[in-house]
Amino acid sequence: MSIQTVEVKAKVPSPSTNFWQTYRQSKLGIAGLVLLLVITVIAIFAPVLSPYDPKSSAGVGAGQVYNPPSAAHWLGTDDAGRDVFSNFMYGARVSLLVGFFASFISVGIGGTIGIVAGYYGGRVENILMRFTDTMLVIPDLPLIVVIVALTKPSLLNIIFVIGIFGWTTTARMVRSQTLAVKSRKFVLRARAIGAGRRHIIRHHILPLVMPILVVQAVLVVSVAVLNESTLSFLGLGDPTALSWGQMLNYAFARGAMSTGAWWALVAPGIGIIWVVLGLTLVGQGLEHVLNPRLDTHHLMPGRPVVVNHEASGESEKPTEKNPLLEVRNLSINYINEGKPPARAVENISFTLKEGELIGLVGESGCGKTTLMLALLRLLPSAGQIVNGQVIFSGKDLTALNEQEINAVRWKDISIVFQGAMNALNPVRTVGDQIAEAIIKHMPGFPRDQRLQERVIELLDLVGIAADHKEHYPHQYSGGMRQRAMIAMALACNPQIIIADEPTTALDVMIQAQILELLDSLRKKLGLAIIFVTHDLGVVAEICDKVLVMYGGVTAEYADVDIIYNESRHPYTQELLKAFPDLTKPKKKLSSIPGYPPRLDALPIGCRFAPRCRLAFARCHTEQPLLQKLNDSQSAVHIASCHLLEVSK
Amino acid sequence: MGVRPPAQWSKSLNRWLYIRNKAGRSFFTILFVVVLNFFLFRVLPGDPARQGIRDPRLTQEAIEAIRVRFGLDKPVINCIQTVNPLRFGSCEVNPLETQFFIYVKNLTRGELGISFYYNRPVSDILGERLWNTVLLIGGGQILSIIVGVVFGVMAAWKARTSVDYGALITGLVAWSLPTFWLGIILLFWGSSHGFPIGGKATPGMSSYPFMTQFTDVLWHLVLPTLTYTIVFMGEYMLIMRSSLLDVLSEDYILTAKAKGLSTFQILKDHALKNGMLPLVTIIAINLGFTVGGVIQIESVFSWPGLGGALFEAVSRRDFPILQGGFLLIAISVILANFIADLLYSYLDPRVQIE
Repeated sequence: MSIQTVEVKAKVPSPSTNFWQTYRQSKLGIAGLVLLLVITVIAIFAPVLSPYDPKSSAGVGAGQVYNPPSAAHWLGTDDAGRDVFSNFMYGARVSLLVGFFASFISVGIGGTIGIVAGYYGGRVENILMRFTDTMLVIPDLPLIVVIVALTKPSLLNIIFVIGIFGWTTTARMVRSQTLAVKSRKFVLRARAIGAGRRHIIRHHILPLVMPILVVQAVLVVSVAVLNESTLSFLGLGDPTALSWGQMLNYAFARGAMSTGAWWALVAPGIGIIWVVLGLTLVGQGLEHVLNPRLDTHHLMPGRPVVVNHEASGESEKPTEKNPLLEVRNLSINYINEGKPPARAVENISFTLKEGELIGLVGESGCGKTTLMLALLRLLPSAGQIVNGQVIFSGKDLTALNEQEINAVRWKDISIVFQGAMNALNPVRTVGDQIAEAIIKHMPGFPRDQRLQERVIELLDLVGIAADHKEHYPHQYSGGMRQRAMIAMALACNPQIIIADEPTTALDVMIQAQILELLDSLRKKLGLAIIFVTHDLGVVAEICDKVLVMYGGVTAEYADVDIIYNESRHPYTQELLKAFPDLTKPKKKLSSIPGYPPRLDALPIGCRFAPRCRLAFARCHTEQPLLQKLNDSQSAVHIASCHLLEVSK
Repeated sequence: MGVRPPAQWSKSLNRWLYIRNKAGRSFFTILFVVVLNFFLFRVLPGDPARQGIRDPRLTQEAIEAIRVRFGLDKPVINCIQTVNPLRFGSCEVNPLETQFFIYVKNLTRGELGISFYYNRPVSDILGERLWNTVLLIGGGQILSIIVGVVFGVMAAWKARTSVDYGALITGLVAWSLPTFWLGIILLFWGSSHGFPIGGKATPGMSSYPFMTQFTDVLWHLVLPTLTYTIVFMGEYMLIMRSSLLDVLSEDYILTAKAKGLSTFQILKDHALKNGMLPLVTIIAINLGFTVGGVIQIESVFSWPGLGGALFEAVSRRDFPILQGGFLLIAISVILANFIADLLYSYLDPRVQIE
């Protein structure tokens, strides 16, 4: 079934969602609601509100036909001298009536077919969905026209015919929602304890399918209103019910065009647009509640870097001679309208030499990925670099414009993302995506056979056979995709590769392969690597230096031996305890209770204080500064902890 | 992983299976429409042939001749003499001697009956008109897709800016416009600005050279095509916008950005094709809906196409045209749908039979 791809991904709203709270955020939804309320009031109170009786054209002289708008007739008169404004009000009744009842029939049929197909599955589903697909392809308006033309044109017939041909999309949506709900735990549990099918459908499935039915009902009403007006315009309407389509039919057929009576043409059209637009807008509002969509994407302009050439920061920073990359006091905020900015990364400094491998360690949510994205200025649009510098070969990357940073990206610093599952474009071959980077950054590179050979060479470097070059990402396994990402990262001979948790979500054997690969490439090509991970075992194996992050700040930064043997920060020590050590087999593993702080609710004092076993009063009130420790031969050892100040 | 056939081979096999599957479904749907079309006109009280013989001016012999010609003296199908009112008959009839098989046999020869109004074969009348409709749909569809895609991409790229809101509201309003009403308004405006008030050509044009005739037809096409473009552009724009918003928040767009590609390159090489995929499906699903719009446009502009034929047949109660027109429209839509499926399988390498 090819059309499944376009179906709205049905999400089940959590029961705690306050419907109105969310709906209110959608300005379009509110506008739609107002439009519908006004027209409904007009329709209900038409007999009271309308200045004239729509049926009586008695006492109308020949001079009253197609009179332009005036004080007596606000919207002029029609071909029979009737008041257009009154007709407009009564027309609303017919349109809304047809729309509402036809939609009721459609949604009833579609909902039943969808639930039955989704819940019963198997052959029932097969037959029902095949029938639905067939009906979906048959053009419904011609069919409706034919049927109405063959039967008596009464309002009831029209409602019925429009209703029984408008259910197909509803059936499809409801079926996929039912399938999603059916496999949820509470339904499985209800089935396990032997609840009957009817009971399950009524009490467990229907409530969760309801939101979809409501959205569908709203959209189907608008289609029904349009269909009714089309039928009436084509002369197939109920002659006793003056709908907007009917008004247009009379005006169009009886000389409104030639007499220039635009009011008789415009007024009913506005009515139809009013209702359909109102319904569509309400649909948008409901959609906003059911499928809240991220309102950002990767191509939205980033926030300007806060220019700060003298990167401030009173605490210690590591200094080394001629580093390849030097990050100085980098701070990143997430800007949230109406709320104080979230300080995602604060005052991070580190250096990277040629051929060096630095490990960036911390739990999830500690700002590791944010920091890495900031190095290449790839932050999402809410992220802003508020302080600090990123010095790469003499240039401050934070001060470059878009074009200049594009020249650095991939050419000098490339990045391997976490979980390459979606990091490769699904509709282009892997070889093509690797070649793209070469074409972009090495304009002198010949675009003939040699380019293909280079791609094959790169794939070979990461252990992928040449014939996989023409394959699409979905034909690769998870490990292969990650290796293909690494091949792509190597394409332009960069000096630095950022590997952002490249082994997460891969099985242990593949993890080991990827690590080995990165380490051997480093030795072979002299690459510098920033390796982001939450796995200290990985760090121990291949890293030269380690930066331990917690809650967006540096906890400890030193050579790998010092981190393992002489760590001073309680967080580092806790992390080490959570990591199995093969040399001390009897050692008990322990975990750190609690979670890293939320960025929008950072503690006032030390960010680790709430989980620290050694915390004392000052830790909860004052943030510790970074300080240099002179305890060892190591070039640099930095940590931020009040305990260390006390001991000094 | 076990033994797998070579990937190249399985890929083409998959595509072949996919195409076969889609072709099978289209064929099944066409059969369904053929059967539906037959019984619809016999169940409902407007049987073309029977309507024809109710004319009081006809002599008894003429009525009998028509009855024999349309096979009305034969049972509808085995076991059923007539459907409305339902009367059972003998099941021992030769199936080839039933009305249903005569209808199918005539269809396979391209015979759709004789128009009451024109007294000419329906297939001749509709055949001339089919191309006019294709002309209108073709031009309108291409224009609305181009405009919809361009503005949809702009809106998604400039999400949350005034460009986006402007495009969104324009799209929603355009979507809400009743097609026939927009046609009327454009016609009202156009007739006072030198545009033709309908039809396909200025009367008496046939004696002029080809180029003059050609531009004359184009001139007549302007307003109908404009109506079509405005109505469908809105929907295509909304779909493109929403689909591209999804694509642009995918990880591979971040990868493309990290690769140093410019915004234009990312949109062109990484976002557009992926974002177009849902649009192809929507266009395919919408073909039925599109035809509905064409009936309205052709009625307003008296464009001599299939929709106009259907509209005229309704008011003249010319049932053979109605029956043949519906069949032709439905089959065209089904075939166009099948072509869209093929296009989709070409665009998306992931397509497989489910």
